[in-house]
Amino acid sequence: MCVAGCIVPAAADLDAEGRSRFIAIVGKALSDRPRSIQRQFGLFLGLMRWLALLRFGAPFDRLSPANQDAMLRWLLDAPLAKLRGGFWGLRALAFMGYYGQTEVWPSLRYTPTFNGNELLYG
Amino acid sequence: MVERSFDVVIVGSGAGGGTVAKELAPLCREGVRIAVLEWGPKLKEEEFTGREAEMAEKLYFDNGGFLTRDRAMTLAFARAYGGSTVVYTGTSLPLPEEVLSRWGVPGLEHADLQRRSEKYLTENNVHLLDEDRINDNNRLFLEACRKLGYRVEQFPVNVKGCRGSGLCNLGCPNAAKQGTHRVQLPAAEAAGVEVITNCKVERIGGRECVVTVTNPPFGEPSCWPQGRYRIRARAIVVAAGAVNSPALLLRSRLPVRLPALGRYFTAHPALILVGEHDRPITNFYGHPKSYYCDHFVESAKFLLETCMYFPFTTAKNLIGFGAEHAEMMARMDRMQMILVLAVDPALAENRVTVDSAGDPVVYYRFTDEVLDALVESQRVAARIFFAAGCRRVHAPAGTGFFIGADEAHRLEELINREAFKLGKVSISSAHLMGGCRMGTDPATSVTDAWGQVHGVPWLFVADASLFPMCSEINPYITIMALADRVAERVRMRLPELPAA
Repeated sequence: MCVAGCIVPAAADLDAEGRSRFIAIVGKALSDRPRSIQRQFGLFLGLMRWLALLRFGAPFDRLSPANQDAMLRWLLDAPLAKLRGGFWGLRALAFMGYYGQTEVWPSLRYTPTFNGNELLYG
Repeated sequence: MVERSFDVVIVGSGAGGGTVAKELAPLCREGVRIAVLEWGPKLKEEEFTGREAEMAEKLYFDNGGFLTRDRAMTLAFARAYGGSTVVYTGTSLPLPEEVLSRWGVPGLEHADLQRRSEKYLTENNVHLLDEDRINDNNRLFLEACRKLGYRVEQFPVNVKGCRGSGLCNLGCPNAAKQGTHRVQLPAAEAAGVEVITNCKVERIGGRECVVTVTNPPFGEPSCWPQGRYRIRARAIVVAAGAVNSPALLLRSRLPVRLPALGRYFTAHPALILVGEHDRPITNFYGHPKSYYCDHFVESAKFLLETCMYFPFTTAKNLIGFGAEHAEMMARMDRMQMILVLAVDPALAENRVTVDSAGDPVVYYRFTDEVLDALVESQRVAARIFFAAGCRRVHAPAGTGFFIGADEAHRLEELINREAFKLGKVSISSAHLMGGCRMGTDPATSVTDAWGQVHGVPWLFVADASLFPMCSEINPYITIMALADRVAERVRMRLPELPAA
């Protein structure tokens, strides 16, 4: 949830139910993935921890918010495509865990309805 | 293992398989036994909830995010009664004559394809939506393209009783979209074709296939009990889509060598681009995809279409994270969206293979031309957004998260190739083509112009994997027209094929 809060700031403010939903969505998405992807994702998380130690002298979860942000921005634009891809996967999971919750949709002013045509013009 | 026997087995029930099933269905009156084997479930009407994560899990392979081998692109393709016709927006365009000329398949004539396409335009209720059914997101695109002098056209769509949920890509909750699940498959079943859902075909070998029926915890249970089956057939038609058809044939024991199998895969790599207005617009109400702009197809190899996606998909497609990302996501009612699709070349190295477990692995290399097209398309989309009145836009190849309207004159500088890095940008595809391409030479193609696999008289392919190059437009009507040809050839050949 620490990384998730950096990626989606509102995720840090989720209540207990929201956090449970977040964890359930991410857990399900990961368990549905091929084992090779799950393994690579685990490796990426481990690598991220070590890279934070190398760049900032502490594991990611103990960095200041500014350094956590700097670390993630470096990964977003990392020179190696595999690192960028790993961060893309992490980012996607965080977005899925938060924006996949229909409960947060009204806060995005996203309120779909099955009868959208009725609301098109007045 | 339970043994079953049919005259014709069709693998897949989407635009290809559903069409073949319906076209062959009249043969059931003569005692011909036909089965459609569909990997996915038949969802109950109440299961089309429009909830993004839930529907993605129920309807798509890998939740709609099947990754290419290098993780640079996600592929969206469905498994369901009706295949990907359950989850597309219903846009239905016949293949342009110039594209067919580029395909250069001897024996595949434009007049023939056009005639068959028109049959499905009628059968599936394809028409233009009335003006009062066009939302702001689409109308603003139309007006901006006209203002800029770009050629823009309305998409014909295959809906009946559309209520404008805007949820087409999650399966229409109003049963309005006329995919094969609403038209061809019910007609085929009424005529006697058996459709077996939740049925994964493991492999094909010598006029038989081995399948497993497993019911997921949703949808209607399969009409066959769970378990493994050996199904014999006089003819087998593979229509499992451009990833799964080549993969199935690659893990099968075929009596011929097919060096082109899996190769020449194309995908129309796409980006979702977002502009922000300073006021709410209607975007997620109404049909999401009403217009397209093909002004740049010849000159710069990309196509622009209107679109409107859901919160997770939208979030994933914006570059970056944190406060600015959240700021944009917090105003989905102000978003205007454009989908850009690159016209990609058919390269032998872009291919579907299978891993040691027999699962598909897709190798895809982005050429410089495709990357250039994707970057240039962002500049054009930004011009359209600004002409439509957006106050700022977000471009994946932007040097910053936002480009303001006051910076519109600096798009060449602010959107550039250096900022467009594979792995960082969300590139996706829902138009998967090739892998079993048609042609005359078995060294560079897999089937003939009628979908028959070279050297195997009982084996046919009937889906977008037949495309020798990309279609440069939304592919569904072309798949149906080609499937119609395949059905004609199967019907003609069947009397010659020995009993299973």
